[in-house]
Amino acid sequence: MENKDTKEKLLREFAPQLEKTSPATLVWILFLLGVIAWGVYAFVAQVTKGHIVTGMRDNVVWGIYIVNFIFFMGMSYAGAIISGTLQLFRTEWRKPIIRMAEYLAIISLLIGPGYILLCIGRLDRLHYLALFGRIQSPITWDVIAISTDIFGCLIFLYLSILRDIASLRDFSELKIPAWRKKIYSMLALGYTGLPEQVKRLRRATDIMATMVIAIAIIVYSVLAWIFSVTLQPGWHSTIFGPYFVIAAVYSGTGVLIIAMWVFRKVYRLDQYITRKHFVAMGVLMVVLAALFGYFTFSDYLTKWYGSEKNDESLIRILFTEYYWPFIFSNYIGVLIPLLVIGIPKLRTITNITLSALIVIVALWFNRYLIVIPTLESPYLPIQDSRPEWANYAGTWVEYALMAAGVALFCLMFTIASKFVPVMNVSEMSETPKTESSELFKTEESLL
Amino acid sequence: MRTQNKIRIIFFFLLCFCKLVTSAQNKKDSVTEITPSITFTYLNSNDTIILTANIFDKKEQGVFAIKNAIIVFSASGDKETRNLGQAKADEEGNAILKLPVATAIPKDKDGKTIYTAKFNGKGKFQPAIETFSAKLARITVNFSKEDSLHFILVTATQVDYKGSVKPIQKEKVVVYVPRLFTLLKIGETDLDEAGTGKVEYTGKLVGDSLGNIMVIARIEENDKFGNVQGQSSISWGIPKQYYLAERPTRELWTPIAPIWMIVTLITMLTGVWAHYIYAVIQLIKIKQISKKNPGNPENNNKFT
Repeated sequence: MENKDTKEKLLREFAPQLEKTSPATLVWILFLLGVIAWGVYAFVAQVTKGHIVTGMRDNVVWGIYIVNFIFFMGMSYAGAIISGTLQLFRTEWRKPIIRMAEYLAIISLLIGPGYILLCIGRLDRLHYLALFGRIQSPITWDVIAISTDIFGCLIFLYLSILRDIASLRDFSELKIPAWRKKIYSMLALGYTGLPEQVKRLRRATDIMATMVIAIAIIVYSVLAWIFSVTLQPGWHSTIFGPYFVIAAVYSGTGVLIIAMWVFRKVYRLDQYITRKHFVAMGVLMVVLAALFGYFTFSDYLTKWYGSEKNDESLIRILFTEYYWPFIFSNYIGVLIPLLVIGIPKLRTITNITLSALIVIVALWFNRYLIVIPTLESPYLPIQDSRPEWANYAGTWVEYALMAAGVALFCLMFTIASKFVPVMNVSEMSETPKTESSELFKTEESLL
Repeated sequence: MRTQNKIRIIFFFLLCFCKLVTSAQNKKDSVTEITPSITFTYLNSNDTIILTANIFDKKEQGVFAIKNAIIVFSASGDKETRNLGQAKADEEGNAILKLPVATAIPKDKDGKTIYTAKFNGKGKFQPAIETFSAKLARITVNFSKEDSLHFILVTATQVDYKGSVKPIQKEKVVVYVPRLFTLLKIGETDLDEAGTGKVEYTGKLVGDSLGNIMVIARIEENDKFGNVQGQSSISWGIPKQYYLAERPTRELWTPIAPIWMIVTLITMLTGVWAHYIYAVIQLIKIKQISKKNPGNPENNNKFT
C-alpha cells in the first residue's frame, strides 16, 4: 500500500531535480556534448577517409568498437537481469536502486549496437542485412535478439516508471512547463492506482521482469556464440555463453555501484542509498567475481592443458605481449572485490565504489583480450607481416568514438534523471511487507 | 695438527681427486669417437635397383640413427669401380639410392656386382663401409586361370657377364599381397629348370574398388641375387565397398536454414513477443479502466 504522505514528501524532495538544472549540471552536460562533438568529428573523418583511419586491418578486423559493443551490451544485460531479479523477488532494498538498473539496461542497449555501425565499412549496405539476411548466420540472430531486447526493455522501463509518471502528473507543486505536464499526463495512461489497475500493472511488470531476464541471458549468449561458433583459437569454447553472461552481470554490477555513488553525491541521496545498499551490491559483485574467476580459469585451463597448437600460441601471447592487461583483467579484477567485501574493515562505500571501478576497467580489458589477441594469432599465416598490419592498436578516431559513447551514456543517464526521479518514488512510499522486511533483515544480519 | 684439521685436509684432497677423475672422464667422453655401423640392403624391384644403407651407432643404451650422414654408393666389377651417387641419411638413418636397371653397372665374370655403401666420417664420427654383392636378376608375375583355379605364375631370370638372359633355377620365390600395414604371404614356390614357378591363389582378399589386388613375388635375401622383386596386379580380389557414414550436412550454405533452427527461432520469438503483447494489452486495459472511472485524475489532480 502506498503511503500518500510519504509519497508527497518524496516528490517534494525530488521535485528540484526535475524542475531546475544547476550550473554545475549545465557545465557537465556541455562537457559531455563537447566529447560527443569530438566523436562526431572522428566519425566524419572515418566516413570520409575510410576505415584506414582506424587500427583495424585485414587480419585484426575487430577492434575497440567491438570491445565497446560487448561492454555496453554486457552492462545492459546486467541492468536487465538485476532489475528483473530484484523486481521478481520483491527485495526491499531494491527500491532506491532499481530505477538506476532499469536506466542502465535501456541506455546501454541503445548505445552498444551503435558501435557495430561504426565497425561496418559500408553503412550504405546496412539494409542488406534485412533484405538478404540469413537465419543461419549468428549475426542475424544477434540483430533479431538485440531488437527484441530493446522493445522488451523499453516496455519494462515504461511499466516501472508508469506509477511515478502518474504521481508527477498529479503533483501540483511541481513547477515544470505545461508541455512536460502534458507529456506526463499522456504517458500516465490515466493510472490512478485503482485496484484493477494496480493488479494489471503488477502482473504486466512481473511478466516483463521475467522476460527481460530470459532475453538478457539469451541475447548475451547469442553474442557469445558469434565468437564461439567459429573455430578461432580462444573463441571456440562451449562455456562462452554462460561466461559472457556472468562477465556481463559482473561488469554491470560495477557500473550500477558507480551510478549509485554518483547519484548519491549529486542528488544528496545519502539517507536513501546507504551503506547497506552498497554492501548488498558488493556481495552480489563478490559472488559474480568468484563465478567470473571460475569460468576464466576453467576456460584457459582446458585450452592450456589441451596443448592445441594455436591455443598454446594464444596463451603465450596473453602471458607475454598482453601480460599486464591479462593479469589486471583476470587476477586483480577478481581479487580486489573479494578482498574489499571479504574483509569487514574494508567494506566502506568508497572502497566498494573503487573496487567497482577496478572491475569495470578489468572487464573492459577482458573483452579486449578476448577479441584482439585471437585475431592476432590466426590459423593461416598473416600475409603482410608489417607490424601495424599484424598487430592491432586503436587510433584516436576509435578512442574519440569510445569517449563519445561513454559521454552519451552519461548524458542520457543525466537527462533520464531529469525526467523521472532516479529512485522509484511510488515503491519507496509503499509500506514494506513483513516477509520482505524479514528477508531484508536476514540479509542485513548476514552482511 | 688437530684431528679436525686432518679430516679437512683429507676431505679436500678427496675432493680434488674426485674432480680430477671427473674431469678426466669428461675429457675422455668429449674425445670419444663414434664408430658407426652400416646395414646395407639391396632390392631389385621391377627394373629399379634400390640401395638402402642404414647408418647407426650401437651403444649399450640402444641403437641411435645418425641422421644427415652422407653415404656414397659405388659398384665394382672385375675391372672397374663406378660411383653410383650419394644420399643423405634421414631421421631413421636411412640413405636410399634408386637406380634404373638400365644403368651400366660393372660386373665380374660370374655376373656379380659388389655394391659398396661408404660413410667417409665427419667430426667424431669415424668412417664406415659395408658391401653387398648381387647378380642382376628379374622376376615377372603373370596370372592364369584353369577351370575354377587361379594361378600366379612367376618367372625369374638373371643376366650374366655378357648380358645374356638365363633362367634362375631352384630358388625359392615367396608370393605376397600387400595389405594395409604389411605384406600378406599367400604362398611360395621353387623355381624349376625354366626359371618358372606356380602358386595357386585361393584367398578371397579384398582389393580396391574394382577388385584389383597387387601380387608381389620375391626372392629374398639370396646370396647370389640379394632381394629381387616383381609385381603385377589382377582383378581377382573382392571389390572394396566403401561404407561412408552419412554425414549430416550443416545446411548453413544452403538457401534455407535447417528446420530445427527455424522452428526454434519462431518458437522463441513467438513466446517472447506474445508476452510483450500481453504486457501492452495490460497497459491498454489500464487506460480503459481510467476512462470508465468517473474520478479520472487527468481532470482531478490528487495532490492539489
